[in-house]
Amino acid sequence: MAIGAQAEGRWAGRDSGALSFGAWLIVLVALASSAAILAAPSRKSGDVVMWASSTEHATIYRPIFERWNAQSTPELGTVDLRLMSLPSLQRRMLGSFLSQTDSSDLMEVERKVAGLAFLGPIESVGFADLTDRLKAEGLMEQINKASFSPWTSRGRIFGLPHDVHAVMLGYRADIVEAAGIDVSKIETWDDFERVMGPLIERGETGKPPRFLLNMAGNNGDHLELLILQAGGGVFDDAGRVVIDSPVNAKVLATVARWCVGPDRIAEDAPNFAASGNKLKADGYVLTSFFPDWMGAIWAKEIAPLSGKMKLMPLPAWEKGGRRTSVWGGTMLGIPRTAAKTPSDFDRRWTLAKNLYLSRDQAIGLWRMGGIVSPVRACWSDSAYDEPNAYFSGQAVGRMYINLAERIPMRSSSPYNTEALARVVKALTDLCEDAKRSAPLPQSELERLATIRLKSAAAQVNELLNRNEFLKVGAGVSP
Amino acid sequence: MTTLSAKRVAPWALLTPFLVVFAIFTAWPLAWSLWLSLHQSYGPGVSTYVGVGNYSSMLADPLFWLSLKNTTLYTLGSVFIQLPLALGLAMLLEMPGLRGRGVIRLVLFSPSLVGVVFAAMLFGIIFEKRTGLLNQLLNGAFGVSLDTPWLSTYILWALILASLWMYVGFNMVYFSAALQNVRRELVEAATVDGAGPVDRFVHVVLPAIRPVASFVVLLSIIGSLQLFELPYLMLDVAGKPNDDGKTLIMYLYTRGFDLGDLGYASAVGWVLGLVLIGVTVVERLIARNEAEGSA
Repeated sequence: MAIGAQAEGRWAGRDSGALSFGAWLIVLVALASSAAILAAPSRKSGDVVMWASSTEHATIYRPIFERWNAQSTPELGTVDLRLMSLPSLQRRMLGSFLSQTDSSDLMEVERKVAGLAFLGPIESVGFADLTDRLKAEGLMEQINKASFSPWTSRGRIFGLPHDVHAVMLGYRADIVEAAGIDVSKIETWDDFERVMGPLIERGETGKPPRFLLNMAGNNGDHLELLILQAGGGVFDDAGRVVIDSPVNAKVLATVARWCVGPDRIAEDAPNFAASGNKLKADGYVLTSFFPDWMGAIWAKEIAPLSGKMKLMPLPAWEKGGRRTSVWGGTMLGIPRTAAKTPSDFDRRWTLAKNLYLSRDQAIGLWRMGGIVSPVRACWSDSAYDEPNAYFSGQAVGRMYINLAERIPMRSSSPYNTEALARVVKALTDLCEDAKRSAPLPQSELERLATIRLKSAAAQVNELLNRNEFLKVGAGVSP
Repeated sequence: MTTLSAKRVAPWALLTPFLVVFAIFTAWPLAWSLWLSLHQSYGPGVSTYVGVGNYSSMLADPLFWLSLKNTTLYTLGSVFIQLPLALGLAMLLEMPGLRGRGVIRLVLFSPSLVGVVFAAMLFGIIFEKRTGLLNQLLNGAFGVSLDTPWLSTYILWALILASLWMYVGFNMVYFSAALQNVRRELVEAATVDGAGPVDRFVHVVLPAIRPVASFVVLLSIIGSLQLFELPYLMLDVAGKPNDDGKTLIMYLYTRGFDLGDLGYASAVGWVLGLVLIGVTVVERLIARNEAEGSA
């Protein structure tokens, strides 16, 4: 029988009779599976759903939520913490904010993600505006001022700060002190090069190589903290691009000199990687940048260095200058869709304050994550004075607190990451310049850095000028 | 219902589920992305018609051209290094009398069973400066610097090497299948006529495997132009150092999901789509002309 005739026969059969046994079976399986899916119990959800991406933070929050859920009243409700990866959180947040659909009731986001909420007009920011409530409850004075800056857009605050994240310099005390070096004599980066210089080994004498600073010329986090420490930045308070400032040029020129050429003092021992941890343990780099959260990570990942490390304030860019900077940060926000009524807002706000501002939470954060709370009233707690075995018995909590009020303000611009990428590109190009014509004096490096930074500034301005809402006025000051 | 009307209705009834899904998840998003590519959109309910502004901004952006250049170089590397290597391996495997053919084929094919994410993380570690396996090997064998920056300055070579590992075996299987269909009597006749190995390959084998080769080239070009996961994850291991490894899809992703500029990202998507259509048409035309020429 020809194919056409076969098909015709089938259709004719369909017209005349009932479904075959096989067809009935498929229909029954489809119906049964649909019924099973519909009947399956949905995931038990708390009254308040919180999204977060940090496993370390979640470990700290879980006992707090267990206590909260046990003691909570029906008005306040129970909490359901949902942990997800950072990219996943970013996409979900952006998706829900752009489409104005429900997401979570509380959202804990990092600085790079939070900035995306500030892309549109101020009234369209996906997080609820907390400014008035913070002022009314006197929280502005209770929380470290600079810690608000990454969550502040056009003068309005959209998140409770989770941390301070002051930065110090961690050094291999076993090697440095054995060489008779007194780090208290180091006040500036020039001092650092001069005093620590004799410890450099570039492999020429047959000894294992050893460099003074753990830094890569293409690491945006390192570069940003140095730029901020020096008083520079990529955007000013009004949201204008200030990438090509003389301060930034000076930092870039110095970093290029540190990273490139026969006299380089810096090499890369990557963080959060086994390869980098081995290099650090081997003494390939003597010092690394240490925001408060980094200590707990080193203690877990590079345990052999326990008792061999110490912290010191960052060397300043000039005498009397800032001895710290800032790296990283997280906020807790209430999505606008979860605060449609005042009572909705109040429920989330009560929980948010309990989670971020309580003394218990602050001490838990310090003990488990080595993170200093931005709540100034907590800073007097004796927990911060306890000696830290990893850092050779130093009271590192107190050291970070002493620097907390000196951390620089940061921009909340959604273009911050991209602008920083352009600055990193300028630095890598500058490093290539330096390699080709080594050794270049600092003044020539600064001149070349300015040229590179002007090009970077033009690219970021192009980006910024496309967005009508952020051309001017994307302020950072609370 | 009459038989005639049932004949007319039944195909449409059967097609309806697909058409509905296609309309919702393909046709509508395509149309919407075209509309979006003509707008600037930031935040909820905020969009402004900009005409071809997104396209002109994109063409004026040096980063777009750098991404296009990187993607093109990677594509050329894939086509001119990966595919000849795959064909060569397939020919070796098809040599008469080869022992352990199945095992060798499995070994060569097995990397394509590994997920891209895993491979990217693996190569991110292999290509590390100083501690990376490649630099350690090169340093031990040839004294090459341990600090050779595979994940920044030489990122394109690193990507090509990683994709060689992943896809050579996969393409080799296609070529093997094609080679097995080359008529043996034609090869033998050419041998009897005095043709050497090169002549036999050029005049007998190559024309016979041309349809498959053409298909593999096309797949390879399309796959290469859509390159995203491998560099995105490999560079993540190294902390996303700079733009040296940025591809067109990474550029699109950055603009759409890191900067929230969905209109601009849609414009990049449409340009990429047009490039893919153009490449496919050109490749098909070349293949057709060659087929007609050899007929």
